[in-house]
Amino acid sequence: MEIAGNIRSARDLGLVACRRCAKVWPADTSECGRCGHRLQSRDTGALQRVWAWWIVGMICYIPANVYPMLATRTLVSNQENTIIGGALDLAHHGSYGIALIIIVASVVIPIGKFMAVAALALGVRQGSRLSPLRRQQLYEVVEYIGRWSMIDVFVVAILSSLVQLGALASISPGKASLFFALSVVFTMLSAQSFDSRMIWDEDAPERADAPAPRGVTA
Amino acid sequence: MTDTPPNVPIRPARRSFLERVSIVWIIPLAALVIALGVAWQSYADRGPLIEITFENASGIVSGQTELRYRDVAVGVVESITFTENLHRVLVAVRVDNSVADYIDQDAQFYVVRPEISSRGVSGLETVLSGVYIDGIWNEEAQGLVTRHEGSDDTPLMAGDRGGLMIRLKATPDAGLTEKAPIVYQGIEVGRIGQATITDDGVTVEAEAVIFAPHGRLINTSTRFWDASGFSFSLGPSGARIDFSSVASLVSGGVTFRTVVSGGEPAQPGESFLVYADEGAARSSVFSDEEGPALDLTAVFEDNVSGLAVDAPVDLGGVRIGRVTALSGIVDPEQYGDNRVRLAATLSINPSRLGIEGSEVGTDSALNFLAGRVDEGLRARLATASLLAGGLKVELVMVDDPADPEAVLNREASPNPRIPTTDSDISDVSATAEGVFERINNLPIEELLQSAIGLMDNISRVAGSPDLRALPTDLRGTVSDLRAFIGSEDLQRLPGRIDGIANEIDTLLARLNEEDAVTRILDAVDAAKEAVSEASTAVSDSVSGLPALTERLTAVAAKAENVPLEQLSEDLSALMQSTTAVLDTDGARALPEDLGDALNELQAVLKELREGGVVDNLNATFDSAREASDTLRDVARQLPSLLDRAKSVLAQAGTTVQGYDADRGVGRDLATALREVERAAAAVSSLARALERNPNSLLFGR
Repeated sequence: MEIAGNIRSARDLGLVACRRCAKVWPADTSECGRCGHRLQSRDTGALQRVWAWWIVGMICYIPANVYPMLATRTLVSNQENTIIGGALDLAHHGSYGIALIIIVASVVIPIGKFMAVAALALGVRQGSRLSPLRRQQLYEVVEYIGRWSMIDVFVVAILSSLVQLGALASISPGKASLFFALSVVFTMLSAQSFDSRMIWDEDAPERADAPAPRGVTA
Repeated sequence: MTDTPPNVPIRPARRSFLERVSIVWIIPLAALVIALGVAWQSYADRGPLIEITFENASGIVSGQTELRYRDVAVGVVESITFTENLHRVLVAVRVDNSVADYIDQDAQFYVVRPEISSRGVSGLETVLSGVYIDGIWNEEAQGLVTRHEGSDDTPLMAGDRGGLMIRLKATPDAGLTEKAPIVYQGIEVGRIGQATITDDGVTVEAEAVIFAPHGRLINTSTRFWDASGFSFSLGPSGARIDFSSVASLVSGGVTFRTVVSGGEPAQPGESFLVYADEGAARSSVFSDEEGPALDLTAVFEDNVSGLAVDAPVDLGGVRIGRVTALSGIVDPEQYGDNRVRLAATLSINPSRLGIEGSEVGTDSALNFLAGRVDEGLRARLATASLLAGGLKVELVMVDDPADPEAVLNREASPNPRIPTTDSDISDVSATAEGVFERINNLPIEELLQSAIGLMDNISRVAGSPDLRALPTDLRGTVSDLRAFIGSEDLQRLPGRIDGIANEIDTLLARLNEEDAVTRILDAVDAAKEAVSEASTAVSDSVSGLPALTERLTAVAAKAENVPLEQLSEDLSALMQSTTAVLDTDGARALPEDLGDALNELQAVLKELREGGVVDNLNATFDSAREASDTLRDVARQLPSLLDRAKSVLAQAGTTVQGYDADRGVGRDLATALREVERAAAAVSSLARALERNPNSLLFGR
């Protein structure tokens, strides 16, 4: 129904869609007549929330890397490993694959998420070299990958519950695991807070000049 | 519819800050606040850093090794560095705030490592978990002290048991082993710590701890002794082996007992002597520790062995102290030569000196002794025991000291020096040794052999046909004797002597009748001028005398020829044979065994008597007695006879005296008469002897 090259958003047409039940209402409707959700053409506070969660996630990410993730206690030694330390340890012992997985899962991806969310949020205000489509794809990847970021925490939780051999050896989660989980949660919230519609809004000024009725007066 | 109002840009009123700011910012703010709060709190909660120096840091890992108090982790090692000059290892420990104030000056730290000793294994848990630093401090918080010196050995009070710290001093013959247990009734109640040698190098001292609550067992009457090793004694109740515990057998140990009641509770740091054994410890209660001892040095000229440490020091027979040390001294300046002299350190117990006054100190004792030294008191070596041969030191008053000016030298180093005098050492030991040696050398075995040989000999002799024949021989002898006594010759002897006397009488009568003397005198008077004539007449007148003399000589010869000699020879032969029987080597060597031998003989004789031999013997003895009676009668007659003969001979002597020219006659006569006299005496003594003891015929006595 829409012709490429002349994409008109609901906002261009003076409409606003309910984000809960997706019914479209006139732009000045303040409340969805069907489900009662508050209608807002653009979530004005979305960026603030993104940044807020992003900051909290970042705050949590610092101790997640500083504190030990795993406390391994065996008969002869007590070992506490941070995320990076543990990965380096593994690499040291030749388990490059596992080390790579840990590094990717615990370091590369979270940091990538932070950077991606920050880039998306910045891109709304200042524009981006990436096309809106790419940004949309990036956003979707971030959204999708968010839940898998917990893999580290899952590993710790599984190990802790499995390796409880009494006096011989035991593994317990370190403080970092909690912070890491929090960090993941906050990052996900941050990503969710992002209103992906804003990616496309940058096109709007250009189209404002287009001969398009601002709104249909009924 | 056509009048679309112009598209007026409407700028909505700028909303207030609060309206614009999303509420979600509270979350990062809260997170920030929480993070800051946590950071600040953890910083604030972080305890102080203390530094402990150790000899080495073996096993200590930074960030991992814990500081524990009562086995609770109260800190962790943060860094390990060196002190200046790399002298020691500096371990920085972050301690908890809760205990920081207790880590004061008294705190002790040591590294708990696995330790295997004779008492067992300790710190085993550290084999797996790694070492940890154990901290010991008391319950009084006196402020943090950040720099501590860690001890390299496990402190005595390790294990936070608490207890009584005391000081043990070993007597020279007792030993103190480091870290040895203190055992009481078989239970380890304490521990000896690091042993050190005292400044004078004589004894060993060590800190020791009696763990709570055993500290109440210790009071001033408690005596410690060395319980290491074992003692073995052999007594009337049998052999006895003593050792307190196997641990102390191996590693040495000390035990104690409160020997008498009434001691004051011991104060921390009180020092006790450790004696060599229980006996010494018990006797010490009555012997010493009645006050500080006065040390004197006595230098003896004599280099004699036998004086030992702990030898008694006597004054007037009362023990007043003991010898605590012995050494040689070479002092050319004082003595003028390089000879080594014996320097004995005497420990005098002032309270034993009998000085008046309640408080007797070493000073008053020294003054007392100095005064006595001026009066002549000297130290000397003396024999302590007759048998053991040990020496003691005696303080004696010497009446005439060799050096009257000698004084107690108070300035001498290291102790006041008391003058000495010559030793009074009786070499009793040598004598006793000699006695023992002689007893040892007694030929007991040979003696027994001899006795056995003697017995054999006696039994052989008693059973020999010779001895059996003896009674027969005796009887023969006696019958011979009787035959002799009854012989006609002997029977005739008195008669013949009578006859001789008669003849002498007649001779004298004839001499008187012939008035020879008168004639001689007349002749002498008359013919003084014709001496030759008179002498011829005299010789004429006495020409009959030679015949008499011859007859007398013959009588004497006859008397001599009487077989008395034969008899006596027979008797002596008998005696000799008896003597020879008894004179075997064995009999001579062991007279005391003769009793037995005689018993044997008696038994033999009893057998003989039972065999009727003794009856014969008795008969023989009766015969002998008869014979001796006869002899006695003869002998009794003999004196009168002899008296008569003597008077005759006296007369003859006086008569013969006149005949200077013919002295030979008188001499012969006198000789003959003496022979007769002797024979008679012999016979009479024989008779008497036989009368007294007929047995002597048997035994030759």
